Amino acid sequence: MGPVSVMIESALITVVQMVVALTASPFIVGLIRKVKARLQCRQGPGWLQPYYDLAKLFRKDVVASTHTSWIFTATPYILFASTLTAVLLVPIFLSKVPLNFAGDAITVVYLLALGTFFLMLAGLDAGSAFGGMGSSREAIVASLTEPAMILSIFAVGLTAGSTNLSTIVHKTALLQGIVTDPPPHLMALAALFIVTLAETGRVPVDNPATHLELTMIHEAMILEYSGRYLALIEWASALKLLLFLTLMSNIFAPWGIATEREPVWMILGVGVWLIKICGLAVLIGVIESMFAKLRLFRVTDFLGLAFILSLLAIIFFYILRG
Amino acid sequence: MDRDERIESVKKAFGAKILGADRVRGIPVVTAAKQDIPAIASHMHRASDLRGTLSLQWAVDLRPRLAAYRIYYLFTLSGGPWLMLQTELYGEDRLFPSITPRIHAAKWYEREIRDMFGLIAEGHPDLRRLVRHEHWPKGTHPLKKDFSWNHVMGRQDGEYHFRQIEGEGVFEVPVGPIHAGIIEPGHFRFSVAGEPIMQLEVRHFWKHRGVEKLFENLTWAEGVSLAEKVSGDTSFGHSLCYCQAAESLLGIEVPPRANYLRSLFLELERLHNHIGDVGAICNDAAYALALAHCGRMKERIMQINDSLTGSRFLRGLNRVGGLSIDLPSDQLDAAALALKKIEEDFTDLSKIIFNNASLTDRLETTGILKERTARDHGVMGVVGRASNIDRDVRRDHPFAAYDRLRFKVPIYRYGDVRARLRVRVDEVHESMDLIRQALENLPVGPITNAALPAPQPGDWALSAVEGWRGEILYFVMAGEEGKIHRCKVRDPSFVIWPAIQFAVLGNIIPDFPLINKSFNLSYAGTDL
Repeated sequence: MGPVSVMIESALITVVQMVVALTASPFIVGLIRKVKARLQCRQGPGWLQPYYDLAKLFRKDVVASTHTSWIFTATPYILFASTLTAVLLVPIFLSKVPLNFAGDAITVVYLLALGTFFLMLAGLDAGSAFGGMGSSREAIVASLTEPAMILSIFAVGLTAGSTNLSTIVHKTALLQGIVTDPPPHLMALAALFIVTLAETGRVPVDNPATHLELTMIHEAMILEYSGRYLALIEWASALKLLLFLTLMSNIFAPWGIATEREPVWMILGVGVWLIKICGLAVLIGVIESMFAKLRLFRVTDFLGLAFILSLLAIIFFYILRG
Repeated sequence: MDRDERIESVKKAFGAKILGADRVRGIPVVTAAKQDIPAIASHMHRASDLRGTLSLQWAVDLRPRLAAYRIYYLFTLSGGPWLMLQTELYGEDRLFPSITPRIHAAKWYEREIRDMFGLIAEGHPDLRRLVRHEHWPKGTHPLKKDFSWNHVMGRQDGEYHFRQIEGEGVFEVPVGPIHAGIIEPGHFRFSVAGEPIMQLEVRHFWKHRGVEKLFENLTWAEGVSLAEKVSGDTSFGHSLCYCQAAESLLGIEVPPRANYLRSLFLELERLHNHIGDVGAICNDAAYALALAHCGRMKERIMQINDSLTGSRFLRGLNRVGGLSIDLPSDQLDAAALALKKIEEDFTDLSKIIFNNASLTDRLETTGILKERTARDHGVMGVVGRASNIDRDVRRDHPFAAYDRLRFKVPIYRYGDVRARLRVRVDEVHESMDLIRQALENLPVGPITNAALPAPQPGDWALSAVEGWRGEILYFVMAGEEGKIHRCKVRDPSFVIWPAIQFAVLGNIIPDFPLINKSFNLSYAGTDL
């Protein structure tokens, strides 16, 4: 194959990955809702409801407060674009994503942080009482999840000898000197799981289903949004959830992912990946049904736990390696 | 101690200042001149043999019979008996001395009297408008007799001044009166330093409906359906309290079967509200599982209400003199069977709730209402019983069939959200038991006493009902031509709302919805 056809192939795979992520992310949100509903002996809304919601919001007009600045208008696009870019850097069904030259795990973390940063600004922008509260709370949560997230990815990166997610996943999938010591990996996985709950605004850190403005974190920041802006933000949130679930499943257990650019393996890879993230989504649904939300100031303890776990994972790595 | 001894105690302390002492339908009433009221009220509140809690303070425009206003003070003495104090303002006199500096519980009552009658409590520390928001024109006092019920008000500009805390990093957070959920209108103004709440000011009364004014155009029989609409979730409690007051005034004996059925319905109302609250409190801590199951059980009970009476909210049942419908025994047996199943489910669910560590962590120590604060505000009902205030009208002033039914009054001391939840859970079991007892002992016979004699104008009566929130009070005074001259309605929420301002202190903003839900007070019940 010539370099041009490789390029076309790469572009094609990237587009497919984008389409898969955009399509699957609302489904995962719906799946968690469905699990919660079933555990409450409810039928719950239909499987397509999250898609209907997005479609409805895209059709609606935007209402924006006259007090808002360009930040309010730009944030949905920045958030959506940065999250989608981050998703393209994470191996979903092919271990070496075509865009892996563009950035490693640290890029992913900071792409997400960029979106969060603008979301916090947008929360403050409208000058409403609840937006400011949401932003200040999100700042606490974000500043605590970030180090825990980086460290937990590093713990795996150490064994792979790289911070590039594609390299980590590729090596792990081929069992190249990886997973010789499960304990650090399990600790890092637990840390990343806690980070996932916090970053995606799930119980016990935040409650995505509440109408009580005073208790909100993520939802308080986006209270002023409506119409297509809200649709973009909701979709970006769904993508972020998908990204975290993918990180957990593909960094720690990538088996089943395509390691070659073979269509059959890649289709199989999509199927296996879907099963894995659905499993994790069900787990989140169960946790949301079992626990009450933490008091706001206990959230820091909970996130501290994630940080300690990921730190221990790294220390154990060196101890076990001798 | 005999009730008359209580009058003697007041007489001994004040001698000639007591202008009259009487007993009206069993309630001792002391009359005094207005300048002596603060001292006498204070004595009733503090004297070691009385220890009265101010339960209600209200005014009556006595025109056209007499060009005077009468102000009543109702004290609930320790152990439950009532003691009333009254004074009159003659002619153009618009001033009466405030008792608020000595008795905190009078604070909102005196502001309400000022708004409704234009009578000013001299020496009151806070005479901002309460019910009458700033857009009401100057001089509009709807309960004065020269204010017609269909008067269309103008509009004026004005500003309400919230209490303010100033300082670096102190912010005000306004919440409401429009809320995200399906909630009634109420405004909460927080002063916060970061997340901790330094001060909360409750600003309610957004939807004044003129309920008390509307009563004054109705006959005794017509008043029932208005009383049902005072607070929708307490339809039966309010209509029962109204009917009891009217029956007491008209001297009507209610047949025993109606009394048993009234107890039964009141407990059904308590059941569906308490079970709904248990779920809602848990849901505000993001524990949606409890909400789903409680919602299911609450719905079942409301369906039982519907199948028994044709109304999910038990409306249209009460009438002055008894009940409007009788129930066949097979229907009652079916209801009892369904309730038994619900009780089993509820027992299981309450175990799950109290065994959940993460939920317990949210409920314990949150929103503590101290016993002292509760007493100073005259708090009772579910909220009071969670703060060690042992009051229950069903036991202290037995009405309907409660003097022939056995039940425990659950008391908890800590005053936190968990204590209020526990009181509700315990009361659900007590209510189930009360319903069983009522059904077992249900007498046969008529359900209503149809005779409606006309009372003497100026006669009055007072009645209390332990609704599911707490003590509901109705004062009724007879007017000319079989009409109501005055009907004072007091939902327990009116008393407890000010207390919530103290329960939130030291808590953080995100815990407020949980605390508020554990109080679950009525907005409509205060928006009369």
